[in-house]
Amino acid sequence: MSKIELPNKDGFFGNYGGKFVPETLMKALTELESEYNKLKTSTAFQKQIDKDYAEFVGRPSPLYFAERLTKKYKGPKIWLKREDLNHTGAHKINNTIGQIILAKKMGKKRIIAETGAGQHGVATATVAARLGLECHIYMGAEDVDRQSLNVYRIKLLGASVHPVHSGTATLKDALNEAIRDWVTNVEDTYYIIGSVTGPHPYPMIVRDFNSIVGRELKIQAKHHFGKLPNAIIACVGGGSNAMGIFYPFIQNKQVNLYGIEADGRKLEKNKHSATLTKGSPGILHGALSYLIQDKKGQVLPTHSISAGLDYPGVGPEHSYLKDIGRVNYFPVNDEAVLKAFHEVSELEGIIPALETAHAFAALEKISKSYSVKDNIVVNVSGRGDKDISTVAKLEGISLE
Amino acid sequence: MNRLDDRLNHLKAENSKGLVAYLVAGDPSIQTTLELMHGFVQSGVDIIELGIPFSDPIAEGITIQNAHDRALKNGTTFSLAFKLLQDFRKDDNQTPIILMGYSNTFMANRKFLEGKNAKIIDGLIIVDLPGEISHKNLGINNDSLHSITLIAPTTNNKRKRAICKNASGFIYYVNFRGVTGSSSLDFEEITRNIIELKSTSNLPIFSGFGIKTKEDALLAAASADGVVIGSYLVNLIHQCSPKKNYKKIYNYLNSVAKAIK
Ligand SMILES: Cc1ncc(COP(=O)(O)O)c(C=O)c1O
Repeated sequence: MSKIELPNKDGFFGNYGGKFVPETLMKALTELESEYNKLKTSTAFQKQIDKDYAEFVGRPSPLYFAERLTKKYKGPKIWLKREDLNHTGAHKINNTIGQIILAKKMGKKRIIAETGAGQHGVATATVAARLGLECHIYMGAEDVDRQSLNVYRIKLLGASVHPVHSGTATLKDALNEAIRDWVTNVEDTYYIIGSVTGPHPYPMIVRDFNSIVGRELKIQAKHHFGKLPNAIIACVGGGSNAMGIFYPFIQNKQVNLYGIEADGRKLEKNKHSATLTKGSPGILHGALSYLIQDKKGQVLPTHSISAGLDYPGVGPEHSYLKDIGRVNYFPVNDEAVLKAFHEVSELEGIIPALETAHAFAALEKISKSYSVKDNIVVNVSGRGDKDISTVAKLEGISLE
Repeated sequence: MNRLDDRLNHLKAENSKGLVAYLVAGDPSIQTTLELMHGFVQSGVDIIELGIPFSDPIAEGITIQNAHDRALKNGTTFSLAFKLLQDFRKDDNQTPIILMGYSNTFMANRKFLEGKNAKIIDGLIIVDLPGEISHKNLGINNDSLHSITLIAPTTNNKRKRAICKNASGFIYYVNFRGVTGSSSLDFEEITRNIIELKSTSNLPIFSGFGIKTKEDALLAAASADGVVIGSYLVNLIHQCSPKKNYKKIYNYLNSVAKAIK
């Protein structure tokens, strides 16, 4: 692999990425890119982010040895990168902390965002509240129902939630509606995209802000076991928590990287969100990337037990990493995810988000390829409080 | 040179403004779309812009979104839309046809857009394709198709120059910041921007988005070489389709055509 910095100046990672948006938005993307490039190298900006990460988010997040999980799989030492301990409960805040500074610098008065699981909505409403900016969150109507706790959190933080009923009423449609809002209010509105998706420069910006996770891990790994991990596992929806922990290790080829997708329902062939494993290249939400679509170019409905992975697209850099073979992507189904959700709760005292439980569900298969001398790291992208009612409902338990 | 060049040259020679009418293939049905297209031509429409339905039309307001949904629910596919155009061409080999849609559907159906069969269409408007590139960047190899590019009120001068250099056929000026079908047109800004565009490009400039009434069309055509009517027509079609009283649509188009010519 070459050391060439990606994306290139047109926003491509190999064949993937770009800026496939209506002309009205092109100016906003160019301005964002130039503002970001200016800020990126500014020490004042870096200082401000570091301070917010330390004092507001609670970084660095710990690297924790999962003793009982390790015992259970009888193989490599299993370590957990605890993004669930961040303020607001997921990795999503790493990105919004950075983007809100960009929004402020660009003089924008109004913040919009899409959300699936509600974690990005909460993380956006949180940073908007801190700066006193008006904030609107678009959320698929189906997700409003299954993530009602986060909907209420967003409202408590002073933001408005707009349920989206069009299409499949999930994350994809929330993005459509957020883009439509942005086209309409582009002059005074900043769109905080929640994953490494969308048109250039978003996949790069969101990756850079989340890569604090991988940078910390490099230092913590040295401290805890004196070398780099042998493998890193992360779940992939749009791909931001995975990109964040993978990115600083891309050049360290001895570190194996695993991206875990949502295979959805075991027995229903088309009920999944495994974009990289089962999709084909296409263009949605501003980028060329793998996409779950039919042969005629229509985007297909997806399914996942977790709202945050229930999305037919994926960040373009993941498509590139898949094609060059740097990351190994494979899916796990809802059933395995529920099992892992309980297992991690009971063995480690950590209730993971259903998204995160996908990464844990891959441990059984992955740990077989490693020995007791090896160290593997699971990115605990978020905590599971938001999913309690979903799991209870699936298991026929009433919480009323 | 294709039908679009002929029509634009003709309009110029006659010193006449152009009327472009948009409708979505398959809304309410493929058969009706064919009937409406012929009706449009008889009512004075110069160029037909045929919308190709897509599951995720991010640049559309609710009116056209719903039309895309209806068309997809009807089972409208690219191949059925093409069949419809072949039928149309049996009776009309003069009216230029431009397909309007999104990158993903064009890319997935590129085989229809290449070779001899593609001669039934004259151009493409790909809403989410940056104006400095063209359908060739989506792997569609066809030099005789015009790639109609859009310019918005937010397009800066540097981009305007790059887009105009790449443009062919006509330039589509987007009247406002927003999705299709929104209201409130600022004719002062529209006129100013179109006049300025004319110093950057020699191509005809057509004004679209938000044009509803005959009066809107007249005001836009004061500076533009033609106007595009979209959401308003799609809404009319939807209203008229239960009773099939399409005459109302034709009368409307007729009055707009007369006013701007
Ligand atoms: C806890 C958690 N993990 C993972 C994801 C998936 O997003 P991404 O793939 O961008 O990390 C989400 C999205 O909502 C989430 O809330």
